[in-house]
Amino acid sequence: MHTFLPNHNLYFVELPILIVLISLVYSATRFDEWRPIFLEALRWGMRLVLFLFFIGFVLYILDRIT
Amino acid sequence: MSNVPVDANALPHEDPSTNPFAAFLSYLIPGLGQIYQGRIGKGLLFFVCVYALFFMGTYFGSGTAQIKTKVSDNPIVYEEEVYTVTSNVYLPDTAEQNNPFNLPRVLANLYNRPQFAGQFWVGIAAWPAIWQYVNYNRRQEHGDTFLADFQRTPSDKSLNALHTSGDKTLELAWVFTVVAGVLNVMVIYDALAGPAFPPGTDLDEATA
Repeated sequence: MHTFLPNHNLYFVELPILIVLISLVYSATRFDEWRPIFLEALRWGMRLVLFLFFIGFVLYILDRIT
Repeated sequence: MSNVPVDANALPHEDPSTNPFAAFLSYLIPGLGQIYQGRIGKGLLFFVCVYALFFMGTYFGSGTAQIKTKVSDNPIVYEEEVYTVTSNVYLPDTAEQNNPFNLPRVLANLYNRPQFAGQFWVGIAAWPAIWQYVNYNRRQEHGDTFLADFQRTPSDKSLNALHTSGDKTLELAWVFTVVAGVLNVMVIYDALAGPAFPPGTDLDEATA
């Protein structure tokens, strides 16, 4: 459909971009200095990744037992 | 409060007033209000991040699909039709088809396509959709000469063709554009009232 990035896995391309950009913008609305912005972005990025892994794990378990 | 040095990106802390004009600028173009306030680095960060999300979502949510349909009983004669969706940022006029709460026309259309209520907040980049909505003519195949089909409500045939020939990317694409719009609400508030934690706040103190 698209000439740019044809047949790619969205979990490895779009999802990391989404997480990084959301973390950066959210953190930049909380702080004005670069250091806390990047540290908070790192924290939120890790929280989002852990949350998604948790959801994935729960779905995996449900898939295995049903 | 700790004695952390404040960098040049920071707003003057002693100014508690809000800045509606900067907020309006940040609505128009993400980060413009922060640049107007002198927080250039942060303004550019907002500009790049919000527009990257929005335009990536628009790009992945558009495309062309070629569908072959049989035109006669002859099994080898097919007609190939090309369907194009130029953008996933649009507001269709569907109030007549579905309006369960008897809402005013615009609200009913937003009820039928709530994505646009989020996309709207990205500012000027979503205005072509408003123009197309106001000037939409169902009998015309294309939009006006200036915008053509950009952010114009696609036909149901085009949407179906793209969905049947594509994958989950189309669904994730509108999420990108909605997230960009909703994040820009936070950017607008940052331009209006400054960051949640004033410059010099210790990170651990702020997140405790």
